[in-house]
This record gives sequence, structure tokens and C-alpha cells, in this order.
Amino acid sequence: MEIGVQLDADRTGAEELVALARTADDHGIGIAVVTGRRHADAWAVATWITGVTERIRVGVAPRSEPSDPFDADSAVPAVAEKATATLAALAPDRTLPPGARWTLVDADVEAVRAASGSSIPVVPVHDAEDIARIAPLAAAPGPAAPAGRRRRSALVLAQRVPGIDYDAVPASLADRAVEPGDPEHASVASTYLRGGAPGLVLRPGTVSEVADAIAFARDHPHVPLGIRSAGHGISGRSTNRGGLVISVGSLDGLEVLDEDRRLVRVGPGRTWKRVAESLDPYGWALGSGDYGGVGVGGLATAGGIGLLSRKHGLTIDRLRAVELVLADGTPVRASDTENPDLFWAVRGAGANFGIATAFEFETSVVGQVGWAQLTLVSTDIEQSLHRYGQLAGEAPRDTTVFFVTGRQRDGVWIVSLYAVVDDPDPDVVVDRLTPFLDLGRPVRRQAVLTPYSGVMGNAADIGPEGQRGFGQPVSRSAFVPELTRGFARDAAELLSTGLVYFFELRAMGGAISDVSPDETAFSHRSPRFQATAMSSSDDLLTAEWDRLRPHFDGLYLSFETDRRPERLTDAFPPDVLERLRRLKARYDPDNLFRDNFNIPPAPIAAGTDAASLTEDAA
Amino acid sequence: MNDYGHDLLFGSFPSPVRRPARQAVDLAVASERAGLDLVTFQDHPYHPGFHDTSTLLAYAAAKTRRIALSGNVTSLPLRPPLGLARAAATVDRLSQGRFRLGVGAGASWDGVEAMGGRRLGAGQSISALREAIGIIRDGWDADRPEPLRHEGRFYRVVDGDRGPRPYHPIPIWVGAYKPRMLDLTGAVADGWLPSLEYIEDGLRGITDGNARIDEAAVRAGREPSSVRRMMNFMRTGLGPAGQGFLDGPPEMWIDRLTALALDHGISAFIIGGDDPGLIIRFGAEIAPAVRENVAQARGVRQH
Repeated sequence: MEIGVQLDADRTGAEELVALARTADDHGIGIAVVTGRRHADAWAVATWITGVTERIRVGVAPRSEPSDPFDADSAVPAVAEKATATLAALAPDRTLPPGARWTLVDADVEAVRAASGSSIPVVPVHDAEDIARIAPLAAAPGPAAPAGRRRRSALVLAQRVPGIDYDAVPASLADRAVEPGDPEHASVASTYLRGGAPGLVLRPGTVSEVADAIAFARDHPHVPLGIRSAGHGISGRSTNRGGLVISVGSLDGLEVLDEDRRLVRVGPGRTWKRVAESLDPYGWALGSGDYGGVGVGGLATAGGIGLLSRKHGLTIDRLRAVELVLADGTPVRASDTENPDLFWAVRGAGANFGIATAFEFETSVVGQVGWAQLTLVSTDIEQSLHRYGQLAGEAPRDTTVFFVTGRQRDGVWIVSLYAVVDDPDPDVVVDRLTPFLDLGRPVRRQAVLTPYSGVMGNAADIGPEGQRGFGQPVSRSAFVPELTRGFARDAAELLSTGLVYFFELRAMGGAISDVSPDETAFSHRSPRFQATAMSSSDDLLTAEWDRLRPHFDGLYLSFETDRRPERLTDAFPPDVLERLRRLKARYDPDNLFRDNFNIPPAPIAAGTDAASLTEDAA
Repeated sequence: MNDYGHDLLFGSFPSPVRRPARQAVDLAVASERAGLDLVTFQDHPYHPGFHDTSTLLAYAAAKTRRIALSGNVTSLPLRPPLGLARAAATVDRLSQGRFRLGVGAGASWDGVEAMGGRRLGAGQSISALREAIGIIRDGWDADRPEPLRHEGRFYRVVDGDRGPRPYHPIPIWVGAYKPRMLDLTGAVADGWLPSLEYIEDGLRGITDGNARIDEAAVRAGREPSSVRRMMNFMRTGLGPAGQGFLDGPPEMWIDRLTALALDHGISAFIIGGDDPGLIIRFGAEIAPAVRENVAQARGVRQH
């Protein structure tokens, strides 16, 4: 049985505490928790113990008082966290994981047994005799694992999050479920830009397993719920702390349904890089974003503003049907002819309506494209922005150019342009892109003719260590109807503050605007650009970004981390939101899917049956 | 020409890098094997590539037997003084007197603030350090019966716990460059711990700094020799003569360090760099020769 000893620095000095830890280690006791501070610094003692013993793990009691710079005896919490990480690195497997719970109990067999299972029983010891007395408990067998479940050590079980009923994980999902103490947890905890520590990651591989996962989530309405395809999402909603994540990464197939109609069926977990590779041999492509590491599910339920969009539309514009599992576990199919209202909603607000398990797209015929990455040095960012707006906004449809810059360095801005010209003729490509070289002093010009897979191939493959984001991303999005002089001036001013380390403009228009705004829940069809800004300071960026609002009309939810409720009306104009709320009341009345730009279900009048709510928009 | 007559210390300054995780500990052990007296680590916990130095010091102390250890220098704004005193005393007890407290008023304020520390102006941070040194020594004074109380401009202690008492009187070494910091060093510190590369005017700056510390010490009623003068050297190499003060063949090191000891009163020489070969030769070849030169010269002066 896994038990620990409490070494109390309020009673005993450092040398004696270390001696007790050595004795406990000799007796096969696995854990020492150092508490108190009157006679020694608990962390220094714990650190020393790892240096002079061979096996015993150490931990300290968390400090509960708030950090106060005037209090000469307070601790800076981030420094304490760093200390924990440092010792874990210096002495691997010798520290108590930060999430592991322990309970102080008397040195009594029954008390120890009662405490074990969900936490580590920790027994106070004051001398070697105390340790000898409890040592037999350490040798006793621990509680057995539930039948048919993966065996987990007491230390892993002690890291379970309260409020999650781990023993109720459906049998179909139990084998591949990941808990905080599992070795693979770190590889599934975080997303591309956001650090996370979910309490449980469920990894369904079939439609019925998705339904099982949803049923489990329904029983846990009090913890966050993230839905993940490949975990790239900039806003980071596909992870959380202490909640559930349903990861459909293994639903990653691609199948050609009808070669004449160029119809393909794709799983939500496939990355766009792999989609592009699979479509290459057919001479087809599906416009995605600008990065191959993004998963299909997140993009195809939000919009998909990419490097082929001006020619071929948004990713959702190529969608012909989608299959998803609703909050009540029902698998449904939605298209223009089946559940058309749901089909409308999924294309822009999909995260609120279900977990998609398959997408059917009509691909575009795309041969060799011109793919350019240009780097320019700008001394006048306002002018560069404005000129870019003129060129990119008025370029022919075959040309989509994105503009990226960041902090000023040595008095200049580095501008990167990412451009696709959907034309196999090198002369046309050069013709289209040459005007953009005016935006600054070109320092790198790289242009190739490549299939679209060469454009998506820019993404690094995600290795076994998974996504490695940390902290909370701070990102803002806005649609910019026209790139006016005023916008260029105010954006240049924002960039001059040094607050923004990444700033991007994506050219829209073209085929995106061919689609009527009421065709899909993504209704921003007329803006010429989408702007994204990332910063390390949420408060400061909020203030600066709010100053630019007069230039904006709405936002793209995938790039927005501001969680103030009014952002919802930026993502969805009032009439769209109203329609979405009515549909939400029908498809997810209990608001299970609530963690990504949550659309509150419309209130249901007394005596009205939710299913009878009629859909009168459209 | 100053020589305060301290015994000479030779030390290293490994980077507290996070990867490889144990590199800094290995270099501490290598420093001990090389016969060095001291191993020190810079303290920048907000640097993502670095360890927490406080933890690293305690762990390295547990993995060594003879060598002394110190932060070089500890960032006070992230290490509130009473907790710092307790951790220092704890490691000093466990290591049987091998801990030294190198401390600074704070630098890299953006990093400090990002980690949740308090940002202070230059003048404020010096006043805070002065308060902190008082609290630290009060905390080590474990035999006094009354609880620790302090009500200052920057720190407050309400009925704090004293102790534990360190194994030995832990010297407090201050990283100082500007006049007010040098004044503080002379008035209350046990050592001056700057880096040569950051001293304006190089050797001339050492002379000026020493003079300022001497005056401050005398004003405070202390002997100037109660403040040990130490020096970090960041640019080091044993190749053909390069840019750094200690960047050339061993003979050059020996001559220059001997002169620093005899003419500038420097009695502790701490070299940066993560090259175990350099550490070994510093301990095995250079340190003994400098010790011998200085002992000889001091002997001649005494007669």
C-alpha cells in the first residue's frame, strides 16, 4: 500500500527530519511530506532528502496564504512552481506530482486503509519507532483495481480530479482514457498555444464511442468540456484545467466517395497537411487555413479562411454534408437536404451543436500553385499596411496574400507575406506578386510552384510528446470591412506600443463574398480582411484593441480569446445569434457544448415543447 | 594599493540551465573535485531556460561534501527575506556550514514582475535590500526569545518565527556597482560581489569601488577589511589571448589574479563558463600558483 510519512518542521529541525526520511526510505515507505516552517525551510529539507536518499518521493504542504510583497515571510507562487519543476527535473520520479492529494491520518491500519484509494495516506512520525510501527502498512497490498480496468498506482489515483467519476468511464473508452497521473498525460494535456491539465481525456475511435463519451460528459455538467480534433486551436478551447476533453484525433480517415463529383469523406482528427497529401494524386485540393498542423474538425465547424479562399471560398463553403453526434447521443447527418438548419449552424458555430465525426467535402480542382514567402523590411509600417490593403484587396481572385508582422526591431518592422497564386504559370505568379515587393525592402524572396500539399507541408508533425503550448494565449480577432487609411494609422499605432508580438491580416473577399451571408452561420461575407493580434498582456491588449473597434465589424471566433460575453455578438450578428439560440434550444437544450463561444439556448416559453420550436428564419 | 588580507577563494559560476537538467549540478561536483572553494549560480527564475536557483543550490549542496555554495546573486524581489533567511540557514545546517548568501537588490524588473514579484525603482530597491539584510540577520538570531517584529517601508513581519540558527555565521555578499549600493555594501555587507564585465572603467572602477566601500565601512564604524572583495569573470578562456581579462594562457591568469589580489584587494575569483576542463585547470594549475604568489608577497610585505 502506498503510504507517506509527515515530517513536521514545526516540531523538528532539519537534520532530524532528514534522518527520519532516511529511515523511512530504508523501511520501504514511498513518500515523505515535509510540513511546517518553525525549525526549517520545508522545501530545502525536501530537496536535500532527494539528494541523499535513493527512492523516497518528497513533497511539501502547499502554502495557502496569498502572496504579499510586504510580508517578509510570504512566497511568490510562480517561484514556488518553478522550484517544484526544478526539483522534478533534477530528481526525476523523486517528487510528489503537484496534483497528488494526500491526507493526514493516524498510524492506524483502518484509518490508513480508509484514506487510500483516492489519496495517499500520510502518517505523522516523530522518531524511528513511529516509522518502524507503520512500515508493515507500506508492505501490505493496496486496494484492488475495479475488474477489467487498467491498473493504476496509488500515486496515479491520488492525482484524480474531484468531481470526475473515473470508475464510470464507459468500458469502450476506458483503455484509451488518460488521467492526470498517467505517463501519456503530458502529451495530451496542452494545445498548440495553451497549457492545460485536463482531469480526463477520452479518446473515442468510433461514432458509438463518441456517443459514449458524450453520455459521460452529460453526467459531468459541473466541469469544463473541451472538444479536440488536432489541438491547434489558437483560442485553446480544446483543453482546460480539471475538466474533460473529448479528443477525436483518431477519427482521421479520408475516403473518396465519388471521383466524378470530387466528393471526399474526412474524419475530424485528420490534419490539413494529411488531407492535402491525400488529395494530391487526384489533382484536387481543399482550401484550409494557412497551417497544415490544424485539424479538420475545428476548422470545418468555424469557417476556414485560407490561402485558397479568394479563389475557392472558405473551407465550410466546400462542405456538402456533416455527420455529428448530438448532446443527447443521437448520431445525425446534416446537409442541404437533411437537417438543413443544423447544416447551417454547424458551418460557423459547430462547436455548440455536437461532435462532428465525418465531413463530406466537394474538393476543388487545383494543380500547381505559386507559393511564396516574402520577407520585407519596413520603415513605415502604416504605409506598408495601407499599401498591402490596396494590393491584396484588389488582387485577382487567384491571388491570396497574408501579411504578418510583430514588434519593431531596431527601428524597423519585419513583414512576412505568405501568398498563394492559384495558377501554374510562373510568369503569372511573378506578375501577381511583384507589386507586393513595394511594401518594404525585400530581404528574402522565396517562391515555388508546388501542389497545395507543398503549402500545407510547412507544418511540423506532432511527435509523441504532443502539443506543447503553455500559459494562456492572448489573441484578438476582427473582421476589417475596408483597409482604410484610418485603420492603417491606428494599427500602426497599436504596433508601435510593442504590445503585439504577432499581427496578421488575412485577405478575404473573392469567392468568400459570393456566398450569401444567410447561407451559413458564419455570416461575415463582405469584409476584405481578417485581423489577428497576439500579445502577452490581456489587459493591455484589450484596451488597445478596443480603440480600434470603429474599424471592425465582427470577429472570427477561432482567433479570439476575449471571453467577455459581448464578443458573442461580434462573432454572430443579432439575427444569426437569434437563430442559433433557437437551434441550440432544440439540439442542445441543456447546454452541454458550452466551452467555445457558448450560445445560450433560447428560453423556452412555458408549455412549449423544445422539439416543436419551429425554424422560421432562412 | 589595497590588500585586505583575506584568504583566497577560487570559485565557479555554472549557468543554471534547465537542459541538460543536471549539467549545473555536475559542474558543481566537478568544481569540488577540481579543488575549488566555491560554486555559485545566477538567479533568474523567470528565465524559461533556467532552473530555480534556490532549489539548485540545496540539491547541489546535498550532492557535494566540501565546497561552499552561493547564489550569484540571489534576486531579492522574488525571495522575501525571512523565507530566504530560513532556506539559507536550513541548507547551511544540513551542509555543515557551506552556504553563503550572495544577494542583489534586483535586476530584470520585467522578469521579476512577470513572475509576480514587486517592481521597485533603483533607489527603492536599495532601501528594500537594506531592510531585508536586517530582517535576514534577525531571523538567523534564533536565540532571542521575543518573536521577530519588523515594520518597515518595504517589509513587515508580525510575530515572525526566528530560526533556525545557521551552522555558521553565513556571510552576506552583495552584488553592487553604483554608489548607493557600494555604500550599503560597506555599511552592512560581509562581501562585495560584482562582475568585472559590468564595472565601468575596469580596474580603475575596482579601485573606486573599494574606496567607496572603505569609506562607508568606516562611517558605519567597521573595519574596511570586514568586507571581503570578490570578483566574477564572465569572459574566460585558456586559448591564445582574447578579449576577456582572463582570456589567455594560464600564466596570464596567474599574473593578473595575483595582481588583483595584491593591488586591488580582491580575494575571491569566480569564473563563468560551463567548461569542466576550464574548471579543472583553474583549480589544479591556476589557483595553487596564485595562492603561492600571494602568500609569498604578503610574507615579504610583513617583514
